[in-house]
Amino acid sequence: MNRDLVTIKGGNDGFRILVDSSATMEEIEAEIKKKLETNPGFFPKGTKFELEVADLDRSVKKGIDELLQEHGFGINKSTKKDKRAFPADNAASSKNVQPEANPVQEMMVLNRTIRGGEEISSQSSILICGNVNPGAQVIAGGSIDIRGTCRGMVHAGAWGDANAVIIADRLMPTQIRIANMIARSPDTMEKSDFAERAFIRDGQIVIEPIER
Amino acid sequence: MSEVIVITSGKGGVGKSTTTANLGVGLAMRGKKVVLIDTDTGLRNLDLLLGLENRIMYDLVDVIEGRVEIKKALVRHKKYENLQLLPTSQVKDKSAVNPADLMALCDELRKEYDYVLIDCPAGIEQGFQTAIAGADTAIVVTMPEVSAVRDADKIIGELGRSEKDNIKLIINRIRPAMVDSGEMMDMDDINDILAIKCIGQVPDDIKVVTSANRGEPVVGDSDSQAGRAYANIVGRIMGEDIPFMKFEKQGFFDKLKKAFGM
Ligand SMILES: Nc1ncnc2c1ncn2[C@@H]1O[C@H](COP(=O)(O)OP(=O)(O)OP(=O)(O)O)[C@@H](O)[C@H]1O
Ligand SMILES: [Mg+2]
Repeated sequence: MNRDLVTIKGGNDGFRILVDSSATMEEIEAEIKKKLETNPGFFPKGTKFELEVADLDRSVKKGIDELLQEHGFGINKSTKKDKRAFPADNAASSKNVQPEANPVQEMMVLNRTIRGGEEISSQSSILICGNVNPGAQVIAGGSIDIRGTCRGMVHAGAWGDANAVIIADRLMPTQIRIANMIARSPDTMEKSDFAERAFIRDGQIVIEPIER
Repeated sequence: MSEVIVITSGKGGVGKSTTTANLGVGLAMRGKKVVLIDTDTGLRNLDLLLGLENRIMYDLVDVIEGRVEIKKALVRHKKYENLQLLPTSQVKDKSAVNPADLMALCDELRKEYDYVLIDCPAGIEQGFQTAIAGADTAIVVTMPEVSAVRDADKIIGELGRSEKDNIKLIINRIRPAMVDSGEMMDMDDINDILAIKCIGQVPDDIKVVTSANRGEPVVGDSDSQAGRAYANIVGRIMGEDIPFMKFEKQGFFDKLKKAFGM
């Protein structure tokens, strides 16, 4: 499979767009469009992206800016790279960008109840010490671990990582998504008394009890 | 030390005004100086529940707009001298009052009263933001049904975002028989989801309605289960450690019949 020409990464301080310098403007445009449109609503309106621009053409930069603005986003003009936030990328940005080889290793940690109507998302894995309530959404690029009861919607591996897992002390969500697979809860759900893990096996989401 | 408490819910009709009236009367019965502020320009208002409709001269908007002093607008309760009501306007626009106005008003009332209770409108719009502005504590009222609990959950999230962190829960209109048969959510599930301190469980009780129609909140009636439940909440607000009561699942007559082998 082809390496991605365009990668969008997220951290606590916002999103960054990494572009392979060998890509043409048409390819870049198509890729960014696809990324923005396959996850509508994922990026909050008005999001400012940082552009990894080291060896990019001015005209390409301008093209990307215009494309983002069409979608209601923008480029953070005062691009200042915070290396501490993305330690795994130091090597990558100096050479040709190879994000796949350097996955972001951070984890978002939340010590509270995620209530209905709230949407939590991170490109990294997410650890929640508290319940995820009905009507709440948790979306992670990596795995999701809930030390509490999960009654909301959870999506792990949201950008395609089929190895991501979802773990909860009591797993009773309305819906589980891993990568591009969706599992709906049964219409009547009994309370589970043990922690469970959801993951993909043989092209299907399976749930099994675990000890912890 | 005085305390400003807002009574809120998200979903409408779950018992905010009923709770405000009962806690107000209950606290006054225990000798506290209490003022109730009605911020909901709705239909079923606090003045009716307290039997004070015919004594209203001025309202909250008159006070905020400086037409009259607070003292003149307050309506004294017939029976409990230390209970006062600041009624809502029946005609003026809700947007006549903003959060800063209400905050200033609460701070003024704090000086003279032990408790200021604010009856909040349903929803999370401007009226809600105004009502919670001056409060130290929020009481969230809910019912044992899925939609009411979801709305309570959202309201709790909203209160957190407005930096109101002292939040208590009252579960109203519980029908023990339905909880037992699984038709109503049980208390443990509700507490697990909402994850805030529960200070009251009030059964569904016809006496709540009949006493409201008389303008005498049920908290004064020790023959009523709901009345006793409200009295317990009053005690908990005053810092007493009172265990939750067990509800009688059968009516009194069912029990008598059993006793007589009928
Ligand atoms: N514990 C109870 N048992 C029986 N009836 C009750 C109980 N609590 C409230 N009610 C009834 O439910 C109805 C709604 O109550 P109330 O007006 O207090 O709700 P509210 O939350 O203030 O409504 P709104 O959102 O319209 O302001 C009233 O008719 C009231 O008498
Ligand atoms: Mg009301």
